[in-house]
Amino acid sequence: MAEAALQLDGVTSGYGEAMVLRGVNLTLAPGEVLAVLGKNGMGKSTLLKTIMGFLPPRDGQIYIHGRDVTRVAPYRRAAQSVAYSPQEQAIFQDLTVSENLRLGLRSDRRSAAATERVTAFFPFLGKRGRQPAGTLSGGEQKMLIMARALLSNPRLLLIDEISEGLQPSVILRLGEVLRRECATRELTILIIEQNVRFALSVASRYAVLARGEIVDAGAVGPGAETAIQDHLAV
Amino acid sequence: MNNLLLDVVTTAGILFVVAVGLLVVFGVLKIINFAHGGFLTIGGYAALIVTQLHWSPWAAPPVALILGILLGMLVERLIVRPLYSRPLDAILATWGLSIVVVQLITIGFGRGTEFVLSPLQGAVALLGTSYSLYRLAMLVVALVIGGAIAGILQGTRLGLAARAVIMNETLAQSLGINSALVRFATFSVGAGLATMAGSLITPLLSIDPLMGVPWLLNAFMLVMVSGTSLVSLAVASLVLGGAQVVVSTYGNPVLGALTIVVLAALLLRIRPTGFARA
Ligand SMILES: Nc1ncnc2c1ncn2[C@@H]1O[C@H](COP(=O)(O)OP(=O)(O)OP(=O)(O)O)[C@@H](O)[C@H]1O
Ligand SMILES: [Mg+2]
Repeated sequence: MAEAALQLDGVTSGYGEAMVLRGVNLTLAPGEVLAVLGKNGMGKSTLLKTIMGFLPPRDGQIYIHGRDVTRVAPYRRAAQSVAYSPQEQAIFQDLTVSENLRLGLRSDRRSAAATERVTAFFPFLGKRGRQPAGTLSGGEQKMLIMARALLSNPRLLLIDEISEGLQPSVILRLGEVLRRECATRELTILIIEQNVRFALSVASRYAVLARGEIVDAGAVGPGAETAIQDHLAV
Repeated sequence: MNNLLLDVVTTAGILFVVAVGLLVVFGVLKIINFAHGGFLTIGGYAALIVTQLHWSPWAAPPVALILGILLGMLVERLIVRPLYSRPLDAILATWGLSIVVVQLITIGFGRGTEFVLSPLQGAVALLGTSYSLYRLAMLVVALVIGGAIAGILQGTRLGLAARAVIMNETLAQSLGINSALVRFATFSVGAGLATMAGSLITPLLSIDPLMGVPWLLNAFMLVMVSGTSLVSLAVASLVLGGAQVVVSTYGNPVLGALTIVVLAALLLRIRPTGFARA
């Protein structure tokens, strides 16, 4: 069996005494797209922070591309071809658009080709290089975040609620971009979403997180949306 | 009048050179390095040793710079990094270190006051007055140091990484930047800038184990009103340094020595961001 792109074995983590994740098990095969859904405060963002290493797990192991990274610093995980787009404060407001993009690249060499490929998805980025990123509109900032994440040619992409506050056409565009990336090369994605329809349009599998545990999981297909909506209903 | 003008701009240059290392460390590590005064003093004694060895006085600043960078590396590794998650303790530790530095220097060199030769002696005719060549050179040094730091920050990948760490360390890490290394490099360079500044001011004043204290105080206040911006530091040095010169010239030197501290404290009362952009 090929080694998993991402594997969590019994991961427990949280803030101080409060445990937010309790014994989470997850496996993403290379090329797989998993949507993680759940109500507010159920630990979705905490899951990604733990995978990136910003929260040390209290218990359990995390493997990225087969390597045990449980005790590895966040920047080293990122260097293992992992791109992470956090839910909050995901851009450097006072840096320009092109500086934000440059930070997505691991070095300044061969940056032109990569930048061209990614700005083809979002043409406005090419023209706004010198604008401070904080002055982009909310939706434009989301596209900048996505472009920066893709610039490094990640093998594993972790996305936390990118569609929040976006107009429907931009959400469609982001979905298209993600599907196109997955079709052209081996890219594994863990996407966290409130927008179930958008999540299912890119994902091949889904998992529902509630009170720090995965309470439902399955393949994306007919009936998946209804099953998920049941979990999200108050 | 022209003499006063030259006093103002050269004083600003000297203050900028003395404070810039503190600003750099504050920007990236978010701590005030109270050992900055100790590093200034070490730089002063490095200049003294260069003089005692009969080396050229031009050797003092580079010797002090290298010594400071090496000491900075040690201090960051042994004292600052272990206290990374407790910034207040890290600040206290640097303060303790500055006391240790004063003690060690007193043991090694005694309490006495020493002097070194200036590499640039004499005066030049400028703006219809004759002015100290060395003080003018300090203005040039300030411009070169400020330009070099700005060039690195704006023009290199390392500088971009440093700015990213200054603005949002977590996000920088998630983009693969080793922020611990950026802190290490910054602290070392900051210490080197301090020791170099200490050696550069020695031709203008006497050397003793406590020489760093008044300079640390002024540098601290200048950084407090400048935040993390080099431009703000230049403006603050010019305005507050200018006020110091005016008070010393028309009032008295004792009051002059207090000017920066008092004005900076007042400014922070009225405008908490000081000279930095809001
Ligand atoms: N830094 C923190 N310190 C303490 N508790 C926190 C911290 N961050 C999150 N929490 C708590 O952990 C729980 C899970 O938060 P998390 O951000 O993972 O939720 P989420 O599923 O991403 O929610 P949302 O859909 O609103 O983004 C919440 O109860 C939250 O209050
Ligand atoms: Mg969240």
